[in-house]
Amino acid sequence: MAKVRNWQLGRDMEYPYVADRPAKQFTMIMDTNKCIACQSCTIACKSTWTWGKGQEFMLWNNIETKPYGFYPTGWDVNVLELLGEQEWDGDDVYTGQTVFEAAPAGERVLGWAPAEEDWSHPNIGEDEPTGSADETTYIPDKPHSLMWMYYLQRICNHCTYPACVAACPREAIYKRPEDGIVLVDQTRCRGYQECLTACPYKKTMFNLETRVSEKCIGCYPKLEQGLQTQCTTACIGRLRLTNYLSAPDEVDPRKPADFLVHVRMIALPLYPQLGLEPNVYYIPPVHVPTKYLTQMFGPGVERAVEMYRNAKDDPELLGLLMLFGSTERIWHTWDVSDGVARAYDEDGEEVVAVPLREPTFTRPFEFATEVAGEPVTGFRHNT
Amino acid sequence: MAQAKITRKDALLYGGAAAGGFVVGGAAVTAVAVAVENEKAPVAGAPIVARYVDGDLPETDPGSDAWGDAQPTLVALAAQQIAQPFLEETLVTELDVRALHNGSSVALLLEWDDDSVDDLDGIRRYHDAVAVQLPTAPGAAPVLTMGAPGIPVHILQWRATWQRDIDSGGKTGVDQIYPEVIHDVMPDDVLPPRTAQLYWVAREAGNPLAQVRRTTPVEEVVAEGFGSVTHLPKQTASGHGVNEDGRWRVVVAVPSARTGVGAPLEPGSSWPAAFAVWLGSEENRGGRKHIANWQTLVLEAKA
Ligand code: SF4
Ligand code: SF4
Repeated sequence: MAKVRNWQLGRDMEYPYVADRPAKQFTMIMDTNKCIACQSCTIACKSTWTWGKGQEFMLWNNIETKPYGFYPTGWDVNVLELLGEQEWDGDDVYTGQTVFEAAPAGERVLGWAPAEEDWSHPNIGEDEPTGSADETTYIPDKPHSLMWMYYLQRICNHCTYPACVAACPREAIYKRPEDGIVLVDQTRCRGYQECLTACPYKKTMFNLETRVSEKCIGCYPKLEQGLQTQCTTACIGRLRLTNYLSAPDEVDPRKPADFLVHVRMIALPLYPQLGLEPNVYYIPPVHVPTKYLTQMFGPGVERAVEMYRNAKDDPELLGLLMLFGSTERIWHTWDVSDGVARAYDEDGEEVVAVPLREPTFTRPFEFATEVAGEPVTGFRHNT
Repeated sequence: MAQAKITRKDALLYGGAAAGGFVVGGAAVTAVAVAVENEKAPVAGAPIVARYVDGDLPETDPGSDAWGDAQPTLVALAAQQIAQPFLEETLVTELDVRALHNGSSVALLLEWDDDSVDDLDGIRRYHDAVAVQLPTAPGAAPVLTMGAPGIPVHILQWRATWQRDIDSGGKTGVDQIYPEVIHDVMPDDVLPPRTAQLYWVAREAGNPLAQVRRTTPVEEVVAEGFGSVTHLPKQTASGHGVNEDGRWRVVVAVPSARTGVGAPLEPGSSWPAAFAVWLGSEENRGGRKHIANWQTLVLEAKA
């Protein structure tokens, strides 16, 4: 075991390999407040990468309805249960154990292996109920006692300290030094499925035809062309940003991900207490109880929620959020002036410009026009 | 019998020791298999003597009468607990091994009890397998860690999945795992075959595990330590396995010359040999396996 620095925990931690941060780190920022669970992202990913025979169970991207949705079933509650109750010392330092530190004898990671049926209900808690009406979250009384739910967007976190890498006895999983994307070497993997047990986010999956593990590849062929991922560009809610994150000692506030994660701290990691330093960051849903959010995104949720609620008065932040989903290209800096947010590439060339407020047009409810030279009047319906 | 395990300490301690008399979990191996008609009872800890045969070896016939001439040795198995990840529990304690050779090939018959045939891989679904480990160079047995840097070992592994690949002509995928499966549009429904195959990335990338069309159920690899198994470019091993009455009977054979791999297995020579067994139904795979300490394999001199 080596000692590595996990900035999300505010401390050093044990990890089987020495720290070796990539030149830049792939990251995705998700604004959970905007998701409508349309699954356009899921389909964009599936129809690009995983529609082959043997990949039937695989959703590298999935959307789950929290608090009762999971894919695979129970992925997060199971690992939290295994780890047991753990503590943060205030907002800064995690004093509990990570999945590496809590590994039992003979294992490198504290994990569990989902059964095949756990992969069979990607929409549980949403269209698929968790049981019969009298024993589940179906709530006949109004107003409902459970007053919240939200959608959690999930891809592989391309972790700084991946549990999949730690657990693979073949060293068949590696983190690309150039962008931090975590990949399963398809020539080296021998299908032991140790990564499926170890990854607490359950983001490696087993191909039933080729008998080896596969996982989200961060759409690296697109990244290499300066393009954002399929799930990002397909997103109807325009809530995703594909970008690069600097290490905490190299933060550049002009870069969008650094600004959101390190400067404004509005985007938070998913279950940071597990110790993987995941690189997908979430703007937490503003209507969900703090206690639940703290368990999921760590301390700092109250500040992030407050910041989001005030974004309308913060043009720099608002402009950045408006630029989400506005272009397929990866952009590197942005500014806001005269009510317009502009994104720039690495050479400072403008990539896209978006108004902070869309102009409004009013069309009359009653209208008059001509059809085949004859005057026609009517009422506008919702089309 | 006490829970059998082989730990790192044992591996280093017993690794270079002469074969036989291996004690697991504090209890000496006392089990004696019941002899069947025309069969010799396995002897615990005895050297595995490969009888010389003048003619062909039953390389793909575990049921051949020729095996009746060879004396089986009872080899004790224990849970692998040298390198992570460990196998927690020992669920098969005995492997019966016998061998024959004809001067140009060596064949071993390996038998163990397993009443569940696991020959398809799926999600949390693993296969039965057995492996034979031989040093590449003559001399004392290396440590029991699948070789070490600079000290390669030669491993022959038979897999139930590979046997099924051969027996079924490559029908070992989704349609067999889930016979009731209904497919949506698949790449080969709408794309030219060459393009459709690209969706089987590991297979296209040449991963030997990902192939389903194969000619031998036995993979030949070299390793220089746990996790370093490397598929040999030239595969020369052969074999065949059947499961009858809750027992696997598997032949693993290899040419004696071991060209490009190691010193030849000459008649009259003696070699350390170690073994491993995987029970698919018990989620054995990779390092989560049952292992045996080094035994001695003696190749009878030519008659
Ligand atoms: S989320 Fe899981 S699969 Fe992805 S890098 Fe982290 S540990 Fe590996
Ligand atoms: S495409 Fe966007 S809005 Fe639709 S489910 Fe995916 S993340 Fe949510």
